[in-house]
Parts: sequence; C-alpha cells; structure tokens
Amino acid sequence: MEIVLTVMIIGITITALVSGLASVAGAGNAHRVGVESDTVLRNASEALKSAARECTAGASLRTDLVVPAGFVVAFSPDDTSCPDVRDSRRIEVSVVAPGGVRQAITVVVRTP
Amino acid sequence: MSGPERGLERDRGASLIMAIGFVVLIGAIAAGLSAMVTSSNFNRISLAGVRDRQYAADGAVEEAITSVRFLDRTGDGSCEASAGASTSELNQLRIRVDWENVCGVVRTETGELVAQRNVVFSACFDLGAPCTEDEVIVRAQVNFEQATTGDVTRTYVQSWSVLQ
Repeated sequence: MEIVLTVMIIGITITALVSGLASVAGAGNAHRVGVESDTVLRNASEALKSAARECTAGASLRTDLVVPAGFVVAFSPDDTSCPDVRDSRRIEVSVVAPGGVRQAITVVVRTP
Repeated sequence: MSGPERGLERDRGASLIMAIGFVVLIGAIAAGLSAMVTSSNFNRISLAGVRDRQYAADGAVEEAITSVRFLDRTGDGSCEASAGASTSELNQLRIRVDWENVCGVVRTETGELVAQRNVVFSACFDLGAPCTEDEVIVRAQVNFEQATTGDVTRTYVQSWSVLQ
C-alpha cells in the first residue's frame, strides 16, 4: 500500500513538473518574440526618424529598413512624402511578430 | 519477530518520506522557474512602458519645435519672449513641453554680430504645472536658422538628451 501511494505521489509530481516545464518553455518563447518585436519596432521607428532628418518638403520619405524574417512592419499613414514644414506628422509604427502578436508606437516626424 | 521482519518494521514509511522530499524539491524548482518567468515578463512590460514614454516625449518635442518655428518674431517668437508650453497626447500618454529662449550672439568671420535664436525644450508628463528638473524625460536645444525676411529656413538640433 505504501509503495503504491509513493508511486502515485511521484507520478503526479513528475506530471506536474513536465507540464510546468512546458509552460515555462512557452512563456520563454513568448518573451523572446516580444523582445525581438521590441527591437524591430525601435529599429523601424529610428529608421523613419533618421529618414525624416534628411527631408525637404515634398521630397520622398524613404526608410532603409531590413526586417527579420517572419516579422511584418507597417507604417500608418503610409505616406512616402516628407511632411510640410508647417505640419509635423504622426505615424503609427506597428510590428506583427510570428504568431500574430502586435506591438505599436506613434512617432512624430517633421521636415527640419 | 525474526531479523528480516524487524528490518521491514524499521523501514516502514521511508518511501513516503522520500516521496514527500521529492515533492518539496520539485515544488522548489517550480517556484524558482515561475519566479524567473514572471520577473522577466514584468521587466519586458516595464521596458515597453519606458519605450512608449520616451517616444511620446520625443514626439511631443518634435511637435513643439514645429509650433515654435512659426511663432511671431515680434511677439511670442522673439528672443525677448521668455517661455511657453504646449501639450501633446501620444502613445496614450499626455506630455507637456516647456520651452524657453536661450538666444545668443556669435561673431562671424567678417566681424558682424549675429543673433542665434536657440530654444530649449523640456518634455515631461503633463501634471498641469511646468516640468521640474527631476521630471524631465527629454530635453533638447534647437537652433532656428532665420532668413533676412524673418522666416525660419531650417532647424538644427544642437543637443537631444533622453533623461529617463
């Protein structure tokens, strides 16, 4: 009886341990994707701001951006012209990571 | 009671004690892993908050620069005007930008004295009062290049500091 009880307790504990480790691995993966998304988002934002620093009104606003495989970067509004000197422009930069998690921030660009 | 039976009697419950020890050990490992994952996720969320705050302050300063650029040179935009403020809502954060003129004078190669219209911008959370020194998120000094007509032809960022 004692042995049976011991085997049951150890069995349940190992099952809990394995499922816990699976959860930790899943959470770790989500964490990694989140951190990578943050990096891609910051890179995209800085590329946009850097492009705007060279702007002259009406010229094209082009960002040289290399996006890692699996990530999708979008700018909204996706206007490729430099803003007029009288108007700074708010642009929402968003990143969709593999798995569909989305992060976004709004940056402001202006023509110097 | 024979010798082997006495041995069995002495060992009774040993396996249960071992099982309980095992459960405690696994519990400690699980708690440690759980704390590690919770703390790393908490840190990531905190850093995302810092990122949103810094980009909000950065954007608010950019908008303030555009506003100040077109202020009336004979009034609010003159070097005699002391200061001003504006607010912007970006990344779900309300940011206040205080600006003040720090005009200077430089001598050109030909010996002429030329006024430099420089403005310092300080961005902080909008708490309804001017930014105090320890609240400033972004501070920037910008030079407004001015044509003889009085129009600003270009702005030059002289310094840009992210303070928190």
